[in-house]
Amino acid sequence: MGEYSGRMATQEKLDDRIALLQGTLDLLILKTLVLGSCHGQGVARLIQRQSEEVFLVDHGSLYVALQRLEDKKWISAKWGVSENNRKARFYSLTAKGREQLVEKIGEWRRLTRAMGLILEPANGLQAEEA
Amino acid sequence: MFRRKRSAEDFAEEIKAHLELEADELRHEGLSDGEARRKAKSEFGNVGAARERFYMKDRWVGLDRLFRDVRFALRSLSKSPGFAATAILTLALGIGANTAIFTLVHAILLRSLPVVDPKALVRVGDHEDCCILNESASSREGSYSIFPYETYKYLRDHTPELEQLAAVQSGGADLSARQAVGNAMSHSSRGEFVSGNYFQTFGMRSLAGRTLMPTDDADGAAPVAMLSYQAWQRDYAGDPSVIGSSFFMNTHPVTIIGVTPEAFYGDRLSEVPPDFYLPISQEPVLGFYSARNKTDLGWLFLVGRVKPGVAMGSLQEKMSGLLRQSLGELKDFQTVHGRELLAKAHVVLTPGGQGVANMQHRTQSSLYLLLGLAGLVLLIACANIANLMLVRGIARRAETSIRMALGAARVRIVRQMLTESVVLACLGGMAGLLLAYAGAKVLLGLMFTQATAMPVDVAPSLPVIGFAFAVSLLTGLIFGVAPAWISSKEQPANAMRGANRSTRDGSSLLQRSLVILQTALSVVLLIGAGLLGKSLNKLQHQNLGLEAENRVIVDMNPLKAGYKPEQLQGLYQQIEDEFHAMPGVEHVGLTLYTPLNGDTWSFYAYVQGQRAPDPGQDADTLFNRASPDYFKAVGQQVLRGRTFTPADTATAPGVAVVNQAFVKRLFKHGEDPLGKRFGVIDIKNSGDFEIVGVVEDTKYQSARDQPEAMFFAPMLQSAHMSPPKDLDSSLYAGQFVLHMKAMTPGLEEQVRKTLASIDPNLSVDHYQTFKKQIEESFSGERMIARLTLLFGVLALVLAAVGLYGVTAYGVQRRTQEIGIRMALGSSRGSVVGSVLRGAMLQTAIGLVIGIPVALLCVRTIKSVQSQLYEVVGLDAGVIAAAVCTLALAACIAGIIPARRAASIDPAKALRTE
Repeated sequence: MGEYSGRMATQEKLDDRIALLQGTLDLLILKTLVLGSCHGQGVARLIQRQSEEVFLVDHGSLYVALQRLEDKKWISAKWGVSENNRKARFYSLTAKGREQLVEKIGEWRRLTRAMGLILEPANGLQAEEA
Repeated sequence: MFRRKRSAEDFAEEIKAHLELEADELRHEGLSDGEARRKAKSEFGNVGAARERFYMKDRWVGLDRLFRDVRFALRSLSKSPGFAATAILTLALGIGANTAIFTLVHAILLRSLPVVDPKALVRVGDHEDCCILNESASSREGSYSIFPYETYKYLRDHTPELEQLAAVQSGGADLSARQAVGNAMSHSSRGEFVSGNYFQTFGMRSLAGRTLMPTDDADGAAPVAMLSYQAWQRDYAGDPSVIGSSFFMNTHPVTIIGVTPEAFYGDRLSEVPPDFYLPISQEPVLGFYSARNKTDLGWLFLVGRVKPGVAMGSLQEKMSGLLRQSLGELKDFQTVHGRELLAKAHVVLTPGGQGVANMQHRTQSSLYLLLGLAGLVLLIACANIANLMLVRGIARRAETSIRMALGAARVRIVRQMLTESVVLACLGGMAGLLLAYAGAKVLLGLMFTQATAMPVDVAPSLPVIGFAFAVSLLTGLIFGVAPAWISSKEQPANAMRGANRSTRDGSSLLQRSLVILQTALSVVLLIGAGLLGKSLNKLQHQNLGLEAENRVIVDMNPLKAGYKPEQLQGLYQQIEDEFHAMPGVEHVGLTLYTPLNGDTWSFYAYVQGQRAPDPGQDADTLFNRASPDYFKAVGQQVLRGRTFTPADTATAPGVAVVNQAFVKRLFKHGEDPLGKRFGVIDIKNSGDFEIVGVVEDTKYQSARDQPEAMFFAPMLQSAHMSPPKDLDSSLYAGQFVLHMKAMTPGLEEQVRKTLASIDPNLSVDHYQTFKKQIEESFSGERMIARLTLLFGVLALVLAAVGLYGVTAYGVQRRTQEIGIRMALGSSRGSVVGSVLRGAMLQTAIGLVIGIPVALLCVRTIKSVQSQLYEVVGLDAGVIAAAVCTLALAACIAGIIPARRAASIDPAKALRTE
């Protein structure tokens, strides 16, 4: 599954950035595309920006992931022109992708909650009581 | 599966777009042009790696890997050319034999007529009994296939479900065709009378001129004919002026209106396709039987074209009803027994895409038998190569182990080995395809010795190539699977440690089993070959009741030359005299047909003073005519009484000579046949012939069957052979026999000249020795027997090589063990013995399995039984011969490695490795 996982780019000055967990890149891409169709570079920028520059998306992985999602018919792609008149391949979410996104978000929530329970049990309990 | 969704170029394009977009943005953020580009690139990371990853996840990778495997396989095969050559040759023989026979199966059994939409054609009838039959006797358990012209018209006019219903002559028409202009030579040609809608039914147009039309088949229409493309090219050099020109056919004028398309060969696959297609309306003039005008004579096969959406079942019901109505008009069906017959009368509609499928039905069992035999040979070849592969796999143990130790997955190793097998098999298949082309040609020649222009093409077609490829693939998998599996189970550590000392492993058991399988299969083939050979031998050396030595058979047809019955006496006299005068001629005998030339006449015989046989009962007797010297000429012994003399003329009292079978069947109570009287056609005629002599039984119809009851009449005594006003075509001799003192060179030329000197219109239609004629009647059996023997020998050689290989390999691996044994005092004899014992044990097990299988095959497979003549399955001689042959081959295959084992020098053996 190596090629499926998002990876942190190994560049200097990026030590405070976090390697993506396996499978999270797919979720991020789907989420980004909910807002509307976008090309690969835009997706990368958006993820970076929205994570407040914590995530740096490895572009190689991004494009492989885009291709994989396209193969699964979760997203569709077609060539178009960007706002600054560049030819680019635009991706958009399919109905199937939308369903998957809902499911993945659910999964992610369960995961983070479970992680939270383990890592900070007291907080977790308090949170339960609150 | 390998269809690529997106090209790598498209992906590269996308990355380029990404870099540009990124650079744009960076520039927007205030970086300089160069800096923006650099940063965009560096942020992207490794572009090459991204492309690689895109590529790796693509589906083309599978195919690419396959190419790499194939390349690797070719490389590793080229490193052991001896192994590769042996394997490819073996496979080429196996696959070639199968493909050659499949070529014929495809060309003969599977191909439809080259006409428009052959699937819509339907044949009315399910058998091909030929050629002119009394309708009350022509059904097979009520199923009719051959029809009178009147019945055809009735069926045609009452079946709107059929677009067209065509009638075709069941036999062929003998024609002597000569161009009217100039001094043209006459050609002995073959015609076929067909209904006027024949070409419409098949959807064929003419290549040149026009096709036959229904109007050409009307009463009183101008006589016309269509010429086949092949005859046009062969006899008239494709001369366009032939179209529209006038011909004389059997001395009557006929106009050629067109030429058939090149691919068209008529309504059936035949060794002698028609040269001329003539409308049925011409039959009373050009034919000799006036069959068109006889309502009770079946002589036409029917082929129709069904309209779309017609249900076959109800059409068959309806046509059966129509048939009964039509036949009900006939006198024969109005008697008590006739009504019984009529109630059972029906037609069976069969697919007509192959037209009249006589050839298909005739050759089917032989071809499938051969395909089965070839399949066995291929299986043996597979076992052989599997063995070779095993040995090779063991020799390559170290290589495999290293690859596995370096991380190659088991699946990869298996795949690699399988690829190698399939590559080998495909190489063998390609070589086999060449072999098959040559083989199919030879087979065709062996099967159809009489073929003049048989429309069978053996050039490799797409289905044949496909078959060869499929067989190769399957073969490769069959012989590759076990060796691949075994070598993948290799424990890398073991092999690297040098475990070559071990003598026992899974593969040696498998190898032995393969040898046993080979032995069993080859004993099956050998027993088969033995039985067929014995059967052929019995057929050839049986007492046929004739003498074939120094005899020549000449075919002619005085009808074609325009002779009237009253001129025949003179002609026959002249033929006897002129040929007698030829040097070296002992006897000249005229007749309708000679033994085993494929033609017969038959009649119901009514003995005076006996009850008439019931119609439908098998009361037919063969009928023939004989000139005074005929019996001497063919060497048929006279047992009692006399044969004919020149005094038995047309007007003399009717006399007949009968055979023993005739006496046995018609005089059941041991009465003396001499002096008794009988007649034909009707019990009224039972006084026509007086029996004056009895001759021995001679096989006329088939060499396989018992001789049938038969009677001979003098050449010109017509009696009541045909209705009073009709021409009696039985008066016309079809052949004469020359009994020579010795065969002299140039005899044929002399015969042709002599006949032409009697009348230039008379031509020798066919000339051959009596021996050849008899041989040819066995040609099918001979081909099968020879091919089975060939396959048997091939199987034997393969099995022997397999046994040799396994034994030799075993000895090589046991070198050290044998060395130790010998060092410890084992004698050379006991070493030879132990090696030979192993080899012979495998052979013995193979025999024990193979013999019952062979016997079971003979008992249960129909196509095998139909080939055997007077040979039962359990033939001790044949089995013993097969067993001895195989044992001998096994001995030779075992003794060579055994001697090598005995010559091992203990000191040297212990020092190796």
